[in-house]
Amino acid sequence: MGWLTRDIERAPCTVEISHKFESLHAHVRFNNGAVINPGDEVKVHGPEIMAPFGQIVREDREATIFRASKLEQLWTRLTGDVEVMELCEFSFSEEVTL
Amino acid sequence: MNMPLKHSADATTAEEGLAIQEEQAKFDSKSATDLAMQNTLLTPRFYTTDFDEMDAIDVSSVRDDWDELIDEMVSDPNKGHFKKNADWDQVDWEGMDPALRKEFIDFLISSCTAEFSGCVLYKEMKRRGTNKDITQLFQLMARDEARHAGFINDALREAGVAVNLGFLTQKKKYTYFRPKFIYYATYLSEKIGYARYITIFRHLQAHPEHRFHPIFKWFEEWCNDEFRHGEAFALLLKTDPKLTSGGNVLWIKFFLTAVYATMFVRDHQRPAFHKALGVDPDWYAHEVFTKTSELSKQIFPITIDIDHPRWQPTLRRLHKANVAIAEAKGQSGLAARLRQATNSARAALAFVSLYTIPAKKHAVPATTRLEPAY
Repeated sequence: MGWLTRDIERAPCTVEISHKFESLHAHVRFNNGAVINPGDEVKVHGPEIMAPFGQIVREDREATIFRASKLEQLWTRLTGDVEVMELCEFSFSEEVTL
Repeated sequence: MNMPLKHSADATTAEEGLAIQEEQAKFDSKSATDLAMQNTLLTPRFYTTDFDEMDAIDVSSVRDDWDELIDEMVSDPNKGHFKKNADWDQVDWEGMDPALRKEFIDFLISSCTAEFSGCVLYKEMKRRGTNKDITQLFQLMARDEARHAGFINDALREAGVAVNLGFLTQKKKYTYFRPKFIYYATYLSEKIGYARYITIFRHLQAHPEHRFHPIFKWFEEWCNDEFRHGEAFALLLKTDPKLTSGGNVLWIKFFLTAVYATMFVRDHQRPAFHKALGVDPDWYAHEVFTKTSELSKQIFPITIDIDHPRWQPTLRRLHKANVAIAEAKGQSGLAARLRQATNSARAALAFVSLYTIPAKKHAVPATTRLEPAY
């Protein structure tokens, strides 16, 4: 990883989407142990995965990880906190009028 | 005809749950794609944090309280609660006032996204950690959040809104939050969530004629999950006294002020929702702040002085500035840009004014754990 250069990696991954009454969730797991760092971008390839209501869909896919440059990573670590209020839930969207 | 299927909300193990889910899926002929539904793409955010720091947390100083809380979560008191039963009355979506319908759907979608993002965040922490105490906690919380999201999703389906989980195949960027900010923000979010839900639940117990949707009947047990999550974060904060002393008290004050102010502004933007519930948003805000402050004394050495003469009028100014910014954003021209800038400055000043109201100090009790009592 360079200060200004971005590495691009391919990683096999398993995507799990649950569109069920008792659990609505979606997760991506990298099967080669790849670890995501601040500022990295991830793109899972292939068509959109849609789980019909009542089902869990698990698919093995290929993902591209766009590694942030060292500078970008540092920047994300320093500035990411600004958006931390996103973690709070307030029941409503921020739109003033709907 | 087959035997009625067991609901997987009643499953005791993940394996049993999956088996029931797979069985059930065979009988579910109505896939979301078959129905002409409004499609809403969920847009959760993706985060990273210092997972090593989080993994190094040692809960031995709060071991007894910790084990008791985890045991309670493992016993899963809300298993089977989040499904429709006879209490789920028919909703007259067609006859609902359009303004209320819009605001209520905004409520459902925002709540669903929040539960969903919580699930993604907790699951990620579970996956990246090796510390058994921490990974178990996050796994249990992810379970609850996914359950809540599924429950809201069902209410949305009934309203003709299908949630689209296709976001995973879009390119997404991972941002970074420091662990302590995650603790402050999520602790407060869980506790204020409890206070918000229980206040509405108690109000509707006294005024059932205002209950325009059955989902509110589930708020009591629902907010007990939020309460337990908040307890877990309080214990995490307790393991390191530095997190609630010294310069960090200024951060705590910042989070308290920001969370209260954001809630006030957002609630006041949804007048039809509150009118239908028969709730005055000013009264509601004061109730929720009072309860949250009382609860947060368990771990925070300060609370916001919400009865200070500057508090309420400044919140109103902040709300007004926020409305003016949005109006100006919707217009073009130099005058609109100028109005946007002026009102942004007004909003910032209002926030500073709120932040500089002297906080109330108090001693933090030796034992942290609380029980839901409202």
